[in-house]
Amino acid sequence: MTAAPPVASSPAAPPPPGTTRPRRGAVLRRLFAGEGFVAILIVVYVVAMAPFAQGLLSERNALNVLSNFWPLAIIVIGQTFVLVLAGIDLAQSAIINLTNTVGALLVTQALEPSLFDKSALWGSVVGPDGGPLGGGGGIALAVVLMVVIGAVLGTVNGLLIARLKMPPFMVTLGTMLLFSAVAVWLTRSENVPNLPEAYIEIGQGRIWGAITVPAIIAVVLGVAAHFVLSKTPFGAWLYAAGTSRDTAIISGVPYRRVVVLAYALSGVFATIGGILYSTRLEAGRPTLADDLLLDVIGAAVIGGVSLFGGKGSVLGAALGALFFVVLSNSLNLLNLPFTVVFIVKGLVIVAAALLDVVRNRILGGTR
Amino acid sequence: MTRFRTAMAGVAALALVATLSACGTTTGGGGSSTDAATEDISVEVGADLSGKRICFGFSGSETEFWAAGIKSISDSLEAANATVIEHNSNEDPNRQLEQVRDCITQGVDGIIVIPEDGSSANTIIKEANDADIPIGIFNRPPATEDGAAIVAVADNRDVAAQTTQYLADEAKKLGRKVQPLIMVGNLSDQNAVERRNGFYEVIDANPDLFLTPIEVQTNWDAATGQANLQAAVQANPDIDVLFTSSDFLFPQIQAVLEPLGKWKPVGEDGHVLMGGLDGDNRACGLIRDGYVDATGVQDLFYEASSLLEALGQAIADNESDPDETIVDPGFALTQSNFDEREKDMWGCVITPPSS
Repeated sequence: MTAAPPVASSPAAPPPPGTTRPRRGAVLRRLFAGEGFVAILIVVYVVAMAPFAQGLLSERNALNVLSNFWPLAIIVIGQTFVLVLAGIDLAQSAIINLTNTVGALLVTQALEPSLFDKSALWGSVVGPDGGPLGGGGGIALAVVLMVVIGAVLGTVNGLLIARLKMPPFMVTLGTMLLFSAVAVWLTRSENVPNLPEAYIEIGQGRIWGAITVPAIIAVVLGVAAHFVLSKTPFGAWLYAAGTSRDTAIISGVPYRRVVVLAYALSGVFATIGGILYSTRLEAGRPTLADDLLLDVIGAAVIGGVSLFGGKGSVLGAALGALFFVVLSNSLNLLNLPFTVVFIVKGLVIVAAALLDVVRNRILGGTR
Repeated sequence: MTRFRTAMAGVAALALVATLSACGTTTGGGGSSTDAATEDISVEVGADLSGKRICFGFSGSETEFWAAGIKSISDSLEAANATVIEHNSNEDPNRQLEQVRDCITQGVDGIIVIPEDGSSANTIIKEANDADIPIGIFNRPPATEDGAAIVAVADNRDVAAQTTQYLADEAKKLGRKVQPLIMVGNLSDQNAVERRNGFYEVIDANPDLFLTPIEVQTNWDAATGQANLQAAVQANPDIDVLFTSSDFLFPQIQAVLEPLGKWKPVGEDGHVLMGGLDGDNRACGLIRDGYVDATGVQDLFYEASSLLEALGQAIADNESDPDETIVDPGFALTQSNFDEREKDMWGCVITPPSS
């Protein structure tokens, strides 16, 4: 089922016969607004950096870049749902911290008593023999539980924002601290080791060449998210509510439900991306995503997802994530000092935010 | 116009976040740890590494021990003519893994890592083993013995036990049961686990001397340690013996004890018997001034030179998976042996690099 957004972009008026300037302007505008811009940016950047960053174009590096890309892309796509709504989900990192820790506690095969006997779950959920879901089908159940927890945490954010009309920034800032603190409290800040092979395979499983388990998960989620955003009434409502909340409500958009669902999806995508990060490090970590948020929001904005709402696409978000991963990878390959890497990434994020402003001024209501 | 102003405010906020993110990290990364101190603290590598590229990844330099260790390894590799590729992961194990992978992409000849914790050490060792590149782990042992690596590590348990034994001997002179307190590190780090084990080895051996110890979690974080110590001391004001699992926490300990009138030198009423571990410059000064009774010393230079020698040899022999554990026996520098052994403690003889 498809639906047109209640508040849609108005197509540009056709250019007068015999003139080419408006047409060229329209092409440029489309390029600037769409995914084409960031795709070209990636290609130009890689070509420009290749002579300087040793191994940038090697097969091994391509596989490295992809393994870094899949989890980030999933999380950025999740963030896209709330950014399109003119919201923001700062709690994604904390949802990752909490769900990956809980998941690891459920599936771990052994825990050192001296490290975990002060955990609130010791003796009830976990013990020296690990968690209750350490083998076989238990892992699938653990993943389902993690996703449910991620959805519930996202729903809490959505409810606070939609029902109590609280600012998304403040709500998710608060729950970011809260969820992260719970993750640390559950384990007393310990990493959760001894994860089963089958669980680790979720993040490290290789099928053939670049086709890995994380790749398949990310592509499936990406296609599903694209379908939801572009082909369903919910997607249309998101764009409408993000463009103009009041107009959307007057037009019959079930605003509160849309907000809650968007934050729930953000929590689910964050959880799945977190599972991929956690399993490739072979441990549950209560501080796993502490430094991730800037990359996520920066990547989304570079990918054309507007901080002001109403604009963005899954493909754009994924390309934004790819640009961020390539940027980070190339800076490492240049052997730049850590502080310089941070400065460059900070400047890129600021440039992306400026780009967002310019896009909004040039394109107005165009998606 | 309003929308544009809002937009600019958003940009400014993002810029602030980005700047804070960069500034809020530990200093000294990516070679900048060498900026503050020009003193050469290189050790003998025992091999000419001309034309060799060594990847050196560390997780941060927030303590004098790490800052000095990082500088010593960097200086030593450069003195052996190696090209050093430094990466600071800023305490993010995910980033450290990516950095090591990027080093492997560049075809480095060897890898040295100060891992964030024991479990991430195993993941990184696996990457290096898969790429047939020899790897050395400095001072933070892997959680398991899986994988092949040269590991240089202090005998943390024994050094902590020696230090605590000195505190026990001094406590016996009080002629009563005493209340001990231990500031525990991040127990994901095997060093923290062994230091706590060494502390309890002595406590458990003296049931007539010690009351049940109070444990203060620090997670190797100064602010966390100070807040938790403050709460512990308020709840238990009669602490007689304090052991910190790392010397870098002494400023926080002073900040808590001084207002309570418990920051007193040896011999004065109210002196809390205090011991630490690492052997840094601050601990050296505090022992000299009489505030601290003892500290367990890790021989930073022995660990660095042993690790680099073994790694250099493996590179020279084209050995891709050397597997060896080098144990630094360490010792306890105390009020009793300070005059004789002061020069054996690295923190007493070098200018502390920026940390």
